[in-house]
Formats: sequence, C-alpha cells, structure tokens
Amino acid sequence: MNKNNTKDSDRSLPKTDRRKFLKGAATSAAALAISPTAKAQDPSAYNASYTAPSYQQMQRDAGMVTPPEPDTRMVVRPGSDLMVQALKEMGIEFVTSNPGSSFEGIQESIANYGDPPNHLPEFITALHEESSVDMANGYAKSEGRPMVAMLHGTLGIQHASMSIFQAYHTGTPMLLLVGRDVGFIQAHTADDMAAMCRSFTKWDAQPTSLEECIDTLHEAYRQAVTPPTGPVMVVIDIELQKEEAQGFQLPPFRPAVIEGIDAATAKNIAQRLLNANNPRLETGPFRTPEGVESAVQLAELVGASTSTTAVAASMSFPQRHPMCGPGADTNYDFILGLEAASPDITLKRPIVNSLTAERDKMSIGFGSLRENYVPNPPGAEPTPMEEDQRANQGTLLTIDAQASIPIIISELSRLITPEQQRVINERKARHATANREAFLSALADAVEEKKRGWDLSPVSTARLYAELWPLIMNEDWCLASPTNFSGGHHRQLWEHNKPYSFLGTQGAGGMGYGLGASVGAALAARSRGRFVVNVQCDGDLNYAPGALWTAAHHELPMLAVMHNNRAWHQEYMFVQYLAGVRGRGTERGHIGCVLRDPFIDYSKMAESYGVASEGPIEDPTLLAAALNRGVESVKAGKPYLIDVITQPR
Amino acid sequence: MRRVLIGTITFLLGSIATSMAYSQELGPVNGNAEAGAQLYYDHGCHGCHGYSGYGRQDLNNTGSPWLMNVEVFRAFLRARANEAPILPSTSMPNYPQNSLSDEMVNDIYAYIRSLPDNRPETEDIPTLLNILEAAGQREFKK
Repeated sequence: MNKNNTKDSDRSLPKTDRRKFLKGAATSAAALAISPTAKAQDPSAYNASYTAPSYQQMQRDAGMVTPPEPDTRMVVRPGSDLMVQALKEMGIEFVTSNPGSSFEGIQESIANYGDPPNHLPEFITALHEESSVDMANGYAKSEGRPMVAMLHGTLGIQHASMSIFQAYHTGTPMLLLVGRDVGFIQAHTADDMAAMCRSFTKWDAQPTSLEECIDTLHEAYRQAVTPPTGPVMVVIDIELQKEEAQGFQLPPFRPAVIEGIDAATAKNIAQRLLNANNPRLETGPFRTPEGVESAVQLAELVGASTSTTAVAASMSFPQRHPMCGPGADTNYDFILGLEAASPDITLKRPIVNSLTAERDKMSIGFGSLRENYVPNPPGAEPTPMEEDQRANQGTLLTIDAQASIPIIISELSRLITPEQQRVINERKARHATANREAFLSALADAVEEKKRGWDLSPVSTARLYAELWPLIMNEDWCLASPTNFSGGHHRQLWEHNKPYSFLGTQGAGGMGYGLGASVGAALAARSRGRFVVNVQCDGDLNYAPGALWTAAHHELPMLAVMHNNRAWHQEYMFVQYLAGVRGRGTERGHIGCVLRDPFIDYSKMAESYGVASEGPIEDPTLLAAALNRGVESVKAGKPYLIDVITQPR
Repeated sequence: MRRVLIGTITFLLGSIATSMAYSQELGPVNGNAEAGAQLYYDHGCHGCHGYSGYGRQDLNNTGSPWLMNVEVFRAFLRARANEAPILPSTSMPNYPQNSLSDEMVNDIYAYIRSLPDNRPETEDIPTLLNILEAAGQREFKK
C-alpha cells in the first residue's frame, strides 16, 4: 500500500525546471513567513523538488498522521482478525505491548474482534518493550506456557533485546510478534529485522502471505514450547494484517508433540527403581506444572526420597512434600535424574544454547550461550567442560523428562508386586518422618541465623523476609522477583510448594527485570486468585519503573517491597577492592555507585504511577503493620508498594 | 612471588592473632568511636558489614582474631594488598596508610568495639516463633 502511495505522490509531482523550482521555493518561503498554517494546508509548497519529501512524508515525520479515507480500503474480514483467532485457539491469554505504527491491525483486532472483544488475548499496555518481554518472561515462568509480547519494528526489537537475551538464557517460551511497515518511517523497518536477535532467539520467521502467517503463528507456538524451549519471533507485515481474508478458512491448531523415552528404556528404569533398596530422584525444573505433578506421582509410587530446585526456580518438586528431602537413608543405590544430574541415569531436555552455534550467524560469541564456551581473553581456547563433571553425569539421555515420566509410571504400574508395594509403603513412612525432621531442623538453624541484627535500623534483609512470611504463608503466593541481591532469605524461611512459588533469577544477570517479571506473574495470578510478591531492588526498579503503571492500570495483585539500600553495593565493592589493591583512596569508591544526594522516594514514584504505597520505612518495628496493609490491599485487587530502607546486603 | 609473600605474611598474622584470641582478653580501645562511625561509612565498610556490624560478614560478637586488638586489626587492613585481580572482587579491600592513617584505624576500631549485640532471644521475637510453630503444624497439601 505504501509503495503505491509513493507512486501516487510521485505522479502528483509537477514537472519542473530550475526557474520554476526557484519560483516555487520563493513562493513557499513567503507562504511560510506569512502563515505556517497555510503552508501545512498547501501540499504543493513541498513539491517543488524531486528530492524533497512529500507532504505525506512530512506529515508522518512530524507525527501528524491521519487515517486513510474509509472508502479507499474497506476490509470486511481483515487478516489480523484471523491472526487473533489463531492466538485464541492457542490459548494465548495476554498480548503486552506499547502501541506502534506497524501492528495497528492486530491491535485493532484484539480491541474489537471476538465476543467478548479484548479477551483471550487481552491487550496489556506496557510502557517499554523491555517491560513487555519481562512480563512475558514472568508469566511463562509461573504458568509454563507462552504469552505474546508485541514489538514495533527495528526500534521495538532493540528496546526489547536485553530482555529477550535473558529469556533465552532461561529457555523461557514466549512469542515475540514484530510489526513491520515498509512504507512508513524507514528508520523503523528493515529487510530482516529478526536478525538483530537471531543469536538469542530459538526460531524466527517472516511470512509473506496470510495463509503462511497463520501457519507460522502455529509453528512459532510449537517451537516455543518444544524442548529446547525459548523465545521465538515472527515478523508480520502490516499489509498482511490489513489484507481482506475473504473466504480463507483458519486451519486447526495442532499442539506440539513432545517425545519422551522409548518403552524399553522406560522399562529398564522402572525395574531399576523397583529393584533398588533406596531409590532416589533428583529433580530440576520441569517445563509445566504437569511435569511437577508427574514427578510427585513417581516419587510416591516408588517411595523415593527426592531433591528439589524449588528454592531456586519454578516448576520443581514441592519442598514440603513428604518425599522431598534427604530421606531416612542417604545411601542411595539408584539415582534417577529428572532434569537434574545423576551418577546413574539422567533424563534432561536439550536447552537452547545447543542451537546458538547455528543461530549466531555473525559469530558474536555471547558468553555462556554456546555450549562449553566462555569468551576468554584474546587468543585463549574455549573452556571445555571438566572431565569429572562429565563422569558424574552417568548415562545422560537428552530427552524431555516431563514427557518421559508417564511412560515410566506406566511400566511401573505393570511391574510392581504386592510385596514391593508393602516395602515401598514402609519406606515412604520412614522418609516422611526423616524429611519433616530435616526441614524443621534446618528451619530452626535458619531462624537463629536470621535474627542477627533483628532490631537494627535500617531494616535487616532477613527481617524483611521473616516479617513477610507469616502474612502470606496461608495465601496462594508467588515470589516473582530475583532475590540474590536481597539475601534470598526465603530459601531458608519460606516453604516453596507450588510450581510457581519462586520464579528464580534474571537469567543473564541483567538489571531491570524484577518489576516486569513480577507484573507478568501478576497477570497470571489475577484470574487465579494468586498473590504475587516482588522484593524489589532499588537499582533494578529504576530501569523501567513504568511497569508500575501497568500494574495499577490492569489492577494486578502485586505487592512490591523495596529492598532500598540506596546503592549498587556489589559494584561499590568492586571499585573499593581495586582502589585498595592499587593503594589509593578507598573513601571515593562510592563515586558512581550510590543513589544518594538526593535519595529517591519510591513511595512517591509508585503513587505517581497510580500504585498505592507507603514509606520510606527505616524503623523495623513499623514493618509488619505496613506489610499487613500491603497484603490486604493486594488481596482486594490493588497493587501496593512499600519502600523499606534496608541494610546494604 | 609477591602474592606468595603476602599470603605468608597474612598467614603468620592470622596464626599470631588466633593464638592471641585464645590466650588474651580484648585489647584496649584508644580511638574515637564517633569519628570512627563516619569513617566506617565513608570507606564503605557498611557494604559488607552492615551499618551496625551485621551484614553479609558480621563484625559483632564473632570472636574474630582480627579484632582482638587494634594492632592486629591495623595489620590486617594493611596486609591485604594484592596483585590486580583479573575478575571483579568483593573481597575485603586493602587499606593502605595513605588511605587510612593509623589514627583513623584507631577510630574505626573504636566504633566496631562500641557496636552493641543485636541478637535477641528467639523467644522474644513473636514473628520467628510464629514461623517455627506454623512449620511444625503444617502438613503438605497438593
């Protein structure tokens, strides 16, 4: 369409010679001097030169875009309606974005198509593309399935790129839809926009027809959720969104088929589990809550004590399940690794960095993305995996554990004898008692540790977590923010029993993730009666605080508790250490590393974005009451922020 | 070679300090604790040790041999010069004479020694008692 428009405007250009050009230019200049309004109303004033921008281009560049005349292009069944219908059939709950000039077709369809409109998916307004992708990250980590972040052209991709990079590190499935409008602002478009992120997306495509676009959306979903899971990108031209679909029938969506182990291997594993006197399961993060359920079923079926990574990431074994813990006897005679390493047999799905060597066409060589690759100083060889690390893996089967467990369970159900069942039941009882004692003993030790500096002002980070726990322990909660900089005291004090209890770290250690991810988790939580906790670092919040407005606007159940230590203390120490090594001024290490003079008032910041808030709180005796007010607000459907001034770390 | 030498000195200092810790009472305090509090903040001690001696690495009531007396403390601060590290480090920095004078070290030492104990009895903290009690009562539910 825009190409045609360009031709139209070219045709409207008068043939001109130098004299006419000068005359025209002089006339235009005079018109400008007399009346800017008159200039804007007289397109011919800009058409004096072949190289001069058209009136329409000038209008667009100035942001004065007017919609096309309705009779020029009336579409009854726009292509974007079908795209949104495809998203509905894939179960996409949310599309998050801030508006752009390349996906207005899809945006309009979300707003107006369907009954009810703006539902499944719902358009979530973000204030920054980085926040959009972080939201998709938090949502997927808590639900185990993707949502959509929509990006505007070259600029949107670049804004979003760091968040995509982090999602790639954690293998988080998400759909990134990118609008492309060739004829509009040229700086916003490119031939191969997905190339900007190709090194750290799993898959991408740029369909050239509506039919291909629908197939591509279906395939994108399958690619995102099939191991190795990860972010995928589809670039969609505006023309396809606006195209008349006429009688095009939407093909049915075929879900991904994820393969598990074969029956013979499953039988072998089942027999070894049954033959063992003290079998053990080591579990890591599964793909979805169904994987966690299967692991629980397996542990109960064979009476195996089981490890968990639930205090480090989502989708792992429930921490207080009777089988979770070291068990009554730590001399395990068969260990099955399910997304975690085992010296006997490990089932582990492939991860996206196995694709990076192929996807990184420009050989950027991002650290930690390629397998066994660490960017070393120039000339150094890549660091290989340690030999003993390989040896400890035993038999490693690169296969999805979640898809494999039901096959093992099926074999077990056939093989198990009544006598074996009796032995298993006795073992389970012993494990349950031992695991309970181990948990309570560790908790008692942790309490002694966490009370250090209990009454200090500013508030100790341990007290922040301790005061919060009794207020939420009976809620259906999700801790969505990373906690590595605030001490991570929940690991020892809280109980992580749900697949979404704790969503883990940023992925690549990038700052600015915590708030966006928490808002994304709160999107999932809103309709599920859940409660999202965000222990929010002050430095992290300042990257993209606009996500607070998204929480307020969409009434998301998120309690943000500031870990406001008014500095980047880790980096402060880096400078301090080097100053000491170099034998000079250790009193100037704070330069560039502190957030003081002036202090930032996060309560006011939240208030300005429409989030109820209070603080700053330095007196620890005031903390519990403030947290209680926050919890009540969130339970009533209103996000809340409490600015707590804390000890540095 | 320099690293080995520094390591040896640090080890010897540690050995001496450890033996002192078991054989002697805490040494005298001669500095100004109030001035020391400001120096403690200005030189970034609070980043790891908290504003009042509790943090990632506690100073209060640790029985650390490095805090037995100001001479050992000063030697500890001075002996940590090292070769420039390849990786960023949050380890304890070195504090040379031109950064912290002996008098300033005395003041910081006085401040550290003045820090009160802040570990209440668990029985006096209802929040922590609540956490322990609830965990004991709770049964796992799917």
